[in-house]
Amino acid sequence: MIRTTLLLMTLATPLAAQEVPNYADETSSSDLTATFAGEWEFIVGGGVASFDCNGDALPEIVIAGGTNPASLWQNDSIARGPLAFSRQKDTGVELTSVSGAYALDINSDAITDLVLLRVGENVVLRGLGACRFRRANEDWGFDGGDAWSTALAATWEKGQAWPTLAIGNYIDRAEEAFPWGSCTDNWLHRPEGNLFAPPTALKPSFCALSMLFTDWNRSGQPALRVANDREYYKGGQEQLWNVAPGEAPRLYTESEGWGRLRLWGMGIASNDLNHDGYPEYFVTSMADNKLQTLAAVPTDGSMPKPEFADVGFKRGVTAHRPYTGGELKPSTAWHTQFEDVNNDGLVDLFIAKGNVWEMPDFAMKDPNNLLLQKSDGSFVEAGDKAGVASMQTARGASVVDFNADGLLDLVAINRNSPSEIWRNLGTASPANWVSVVPRQPAPNLDAIGSWVEVRTGEITQRREVTVGGGHAGGVFGPQHFGLGAATAADVRVIWPDGTASDWQPVTANRVMTLSR
Amino acid sequence: MRLVALIFIVARLLCGPAVAAAPTPEKVLANWYRMVLELARHTPTYSPPVASRSFAYLGVTAYEATASGNPDMQSLAGQLTDLSPLPPRDGTLDEALVLHAALSEAVTAFFGNTGPTGQRAMKALDRQMNESLGDALDPDLAARSEAYGRAVADHVIAWSKGDGKSVVENLGFPYEYTLGTEPWSWVPTSAIPLQQAPLMPGWREMRPFAMPSGAACPLPPPPEYSEDPASAFYAEAMEVKTVRDNLTDEQKQIARFWSDDPMLSPTPPGHWMAIVLQIMARDRLDTARSTDALARLGVAVADSFIACWDTKFQYDLLRPVTYIRRVIDPKFEPLLITPPFPEYPSGHSTQSGAAATVLTAVFGEGFAFTDSTHVDDGLPARNYPDFWAAANEAALSRLYGGIHFRAAIAQGLAQGRCVGAYAEALRTLR
Repeated sequence: MIRTTLLLMTLATPLAAQEVPNYADETSSSDLTATFAGEWEFIVGGGVASFDCNGDALPEIVIAGGTNPASLWQNDSIARGPLAFSRQKDTGVELTSVSGAYALDINSDAITDLVLLRVGENVVLRGLGACRFRRANEDWGFDGGDAWSTALAATWEKGQAWPTLAIGNYIDRAEEAFPWGSCTDNWLHRPEGNLFAPPTALKPSFCALSMLFTDWNRSGQPALRVANDREYYKGGQEQLWNVAPGEAPRLYTESEGWGRLRLWGMGIASNDLNHDGYPEYFVTSMADNKLQTLAAVPTDGSMPKPEFADVGFKRGVTAHRPYTGGELKPSTAWHTQFEDVNNDGLVDLFIAKGNVWEMPDFAMKDPNNLLLQKSDGSFVEAGDKAGVASMQTARGASVVDFNADGLLDLVAINRNSPSEIWRNLGTASPANWVSVVPRQPAPNLDAIGSWVEVRTGEITQRREVTVGGGHAGGVFGPQHFGLGAATAADVRVIWPDGTASDWQPVTANRVMTLSR
Repeated sequence: MRLVALIFIVARLLCGPAVAAAPTPEKVLANWYRMVLELARHTPTYSPPVASRSFAYLGVTAYEATASGNPDMQSLAGQLTDLSPLPPRDGTLDEALVLHAALSEAVTAFFGNTGPTGQRAMKALDRQMNESLGDALDPDLAARSEAYGRAVADHVIAWSKGDGKSVVENLGFPYEYTLGTEPWSWVPTSAIPLQQAPLMPGWREMRPFAMPSGAACPLPPPPEYSEDPASAFYAEAMEVKTVRDNLTDEQKQIARFWSDDPMLSPTPPGHWMAIVLQIMARDRLDTARSTDALARLGVAVADSFIACWDTKFQYDLLRPVTYIRRVIDPKFEPLLITPPFPEYPSGHSTQSGAAATVLTAVFGEGFAFTDSTHVDDGLPARNYPDFWAAANEAALSRLYGGIHFRAAIAQGLAQGRCVGAYAEALRTLR
């Protein structure tokens, strides 16, 4: 409590209160026409991976298609101009039954690869450059299995040249009349040299819909946070796995402080909201979204316990029912992402919303949320004012700068209706920003697991560099920070092995690569 | 052994050799009730009162579908409030198909608002059962049997629509509600926005099934509210805190066993239904005895929620967590999630008292059983020498869970006994 209050009181150079960014719907003009389609086996999923695959620093997008083929959309936007995309053919991603997609550089060759989550066999795609990909399951020893895969997280365990992938799986789709209690095993694909070893089952598994490797206690060893859908598990709960190098994963327990929490876990976002060095976690659900913060941070330098308090109600991010459109029924939340959409130095929160599928007790017209953080640490809804309160049935999304103007744009993937994309035109009083690209020698060129810190005045913002979370997809690219009125900042990276770079000055409004 | 597996194995034994045997009425009943328990767990509006209502109507549906073809069974028409005579049968019918059609129709109606998985599951079970039942029958017999079963269900569904509680909005929470302002008034205990108003404040207005009115089983007031350490009220709160501070593993196990949280279990009414289903499987009960038990249990439990809610909103008492944090210990944390409605009396106690009353009437005194309801959720089975032992333990579990005072438990059981007597008095098997 004290730490939060103190830090919020000293926030650096905030702009006028919560300036609302103006988003323009450029779906039609951008030529983006992808649809995530399907019936029961595609009630979840619909992820999007955003990453640059042609070296122009503008992120392309790969959209899961469900019964449609997945699609890769080249970003043809002009810098600081309107958004424009063109569908690329024969890129290698055009598989059907894709539920989600995550980008990362698996083999550390500086060309981004992809993992496609599928209802059926998962597929790793080796990036060939120029936005072309080739199946690499066999070359990389990746057993794609045959499940209903719905979540992914990646990390580089200490001493490994190859990433560890956690893949979350959902219901046994053969259980037609009695699917409840049929959650299938999640998998941990650990490395074996420069290949994947046969996956090990993460038992018990409880129908994961989002996973995130995250260093929740700043021990230097990321743990695996899993958001599980209580609709289908029995005896389940949210999970935090201790994944120690060379050891079998083990669950944190109640005796260690892990509190039993059961929700319709659908998406995870993380950010150090209160600037105490530890990440907060927003977990989406159906009407009971949670914002978790460590219940206690020891002052004696010892590790915190994995005990979290829900501060969603207090912070105003419960987002439990539509705020516009007239419906009062509870709402359904999916992808979520912390980003500073108005560059005021206060991280905001986007939530994709949409009915599961003909659930009459939940809102059918369920607008996406754009919750702007206020200087007191609470959030205020601005989705309608910003122009992103779509009533389509959203699932995945990316909040990312598509046109290199320092303003974070938005693409939302809707179920059984076309995806939508909005350009961020900024606020009435433009603010400053900086984006940071951490780079280190192979392996793990993109420094997954590092922390990027940006200091302005007495405030240090920080972001953990992760692959995973959200709902079935995520952004792989620069780490964006709003700077408010500040025209310069200091930047450093805490590398995955715990060593810290020197603070480096950076002028605002640029993308900075910080190399090790 | 897992509950579901047990029910299935015994259902299979009841229908004889597996090869080419059409499901018996007993298997039809077991399959559909297995589905009902899952749907009750996975349908968002299915809070305990709502679940109790559907269990009652489904029990009556199954009973009437069976009783109409069994001269040893007496219809509940004329005995239950506003239930008019069921459609008459015409000729010989296939009992399994009658029961299947009735339950398929009724389950689909009462769980019409369940999600896509539930809808898909109901259709799959209906299709599977139709294929296995219809293939073995003369088409005319099958058509007449199915039509009659659906007619029985339609009659009960139409009856249900007049009880005033067929529509549930906002998951049962009122959009607007004025909280009481007395020191003892109920205070929301959850940070969930919907739960800033109590669940179903108007449930006491529902038409009862067997008891004459929602106020038919009144209770004396709880101990007078006081913050004086010498008061009876304070002593009750201290008991909750002391018990919480000194919980044994066995007490924790009991609290969790009877927790029966909505959306994480088949609800408290469903727990008692599950007990009956296990007895049906274990003792290979025929459909006459099974549907008698299911119908009377459903009626007793549904009436108990009406009576309990009548009393809850009469006294509007705060929960232990509110009082203890206010007066004794600001850091008090109950073991269980505190339900979002007033405290007195305990709903689980009332409905368990009603259940024990009616099941003792159906199965007799000293009827021992094993309860494996939550084995799939990792909670071991528990053994009981009779129904009252289970009911008393269920009631006491709310003290262990830190969500009820002693008076709410004791008086809840008493209220349940009163309510259950009305269901006990129903004339069913001749």
